[in-house]
Amino acid sequence: MAEVVRTLRLYWRLQRAAMRGALQYRLNLVIGVATGVAYQGSGFAFVWVVMHTFPAIGGWSLREIAFLYGLRLTAHALYVLPFSSLIGLDWLVREGELDRVLLRPLNPLVQIMAKRLGVGQLGDLLAGLVLLVVALPPLGPASALFCLAAVVGGALVETAVSLALASLSLRTWNTIAVRVFADDLFSKFGSYPMSVFGGAAQWALTFVLPVAFVAYVPASVLLDRTGELNVPAPVAYASPLLGVALFALAYRIWSRQLRHYQSTGT
Amino acid sequence: MIRPLAGMARVGLRFQLAYRSDVIMSVVALVAQVFLLRMIWTALYGGREHDPQGLTLEALLAYLSLANLQAFATTPIIPRIAHFRIRTGMVFFDLSRPTGYLPQMAAFQAGHTAGGLLMLAPAVPVVLLVGTITPTEHPIGYAATLALGYVISVMMSLLICVIGFWTLETAAISMLYRLVSHFFAGTMVPLSFFPGALGVLADALPFKYMGYVPAAVYVGHLSGGQIGQAVAVEVGWIAALAALLWAMWRRAHRRVVIQGG
Repeated sequence: MAEVVRTLRLYWRLQRAAMRGALQYRLNLVIGVATGVAYQGSGFAFVWVVMHTFPAIGGWSLREIAFLYGLRLTAHALYVLPFSSLIGLDWLVREGELDRVLLRPLNPLVQIMAKRLGVGQLGDLLAGLVLLVVALPPLGPASALFCLAAVVGGALVETAVSLALASLSLRTWNTIAVRVFADDLFSKFGSYPMSVFGGAAQWALTFVLPVAFVAYVPASVLLDRTGELNVPAPVAYASPLLGVALFALAYRIWSRQLRHYQSTGT
Repeated sequence: MIRPLAGMARVGLRFQLAYRSDVIMSVVALVAQVFLLRMIWTALYGGREHDPQGLTLEALLAYLSLANLQAFATTPIIPRIAHFRIRTGMVFFDLSRPTGYLPQMAAFQAGHTAGGLLMLAPAVPVVLLVGTITPTEHPIGYAATLALGYVISVMMSLLICVIGFWTLETAAISMLYRLVSHFFAGTMVPLSFFPGALGVLADALPFKYMGYVPAAVYVGHLSGGQIGQAVAVEVGWIAALAALLWAMWRRAHRRVVIQGG
């Protein structure tokens, strides 16, 4: 327990240093956040423009889609804000930077996480929260708690997939293309009611790559639409726990692969 | 004049082919994007008997596939190259060559696009199949509007390169340009669906010539006099952009900063 507290304290300190670093380049920070908002906003602009002509996508109204979109974006931001450095892992391995990380007396993953702050991702968080708050359906206390758990669970699902794939680069595989593609699938397909993609694609996006569990499944619970899902309602209610389980699994894979790490020697 | 430019184009081509795995991944992402749009639009059209905006679902799907292929093939590289070379001072070498800087960049872009088309070739049948595209009735109109649209796109990217001589930092501008240009090119929604003021704005901007106009000509959504009109306006844009580029370049190359080190 003392170890966990110490790790968290050090993480907070390193993250504060990274934040101070990001604040040195004020204009870059502002442009980065604005670009993040514009990037995510242009994705939602598509939905908004289309729904001027069509009242529903797969039976979901504009407000419901906006809620789903906001839920996914907020979960995504919660994943990417602390883990944005993970994308550079290939480089850390290739340049031998990881050796230095391994020599320090702090959990290597925590050190990598604290390497830098994803500035543009603050824009993701901002856009996600705005959509979420504007489109939030009326919730009782229990549903509000579920909503919070869903955001965290969704973030953990994305983190788990990203961490598990990144672990492969410890065995000197070039993983960047696969990881970018997985990220792309999460952000492209995660914000729509999965039923529109047809049986096979929906199945793959639920059980092969768990995109559906980031936002679609929990949003269906909150919008009272569990009847449309391709998983039983109890599973849908437990979806935030899936994030925790997947993350635990991914962390095990990460630790395993880390034991097999061989420096490139550069 | 021609030989050095051909050389530059060759460098652009090789540059594109050197990053094969990147291109393959982005082709996979392109196919995923076309699939996504196909499924969403099919769901949208699901409950409708008549065709909104006079577009059948089939024509719309063909339109979206084409517009995305075009946007993919014409996404400019030179703002990134210019940004890097201005930041590192390497732009000095470009400027010391006897051939003009802007023609060099344009040739590089042309070579790069050609390389992209080569890499794209195997994906075209897949995209055409996913998008159910049939031969067009206006091959000449399509080729003309697309070619002129490409020239407009290259000139706009040259403009961003030139802006870099003032700002020295164009990463954010390039990113914003890509977002705005893809959105207003109509790669996800045909421009005829844009409501009210947004529609007027999209119609006035030149981005539509990179996606919407050629693709709409291909599927027959634009025809006859509309094609001739589009070509005329495209030529007008090219003339205006050429004048603007010339005026800006005259000022820009006088304030070149070579960042050494």
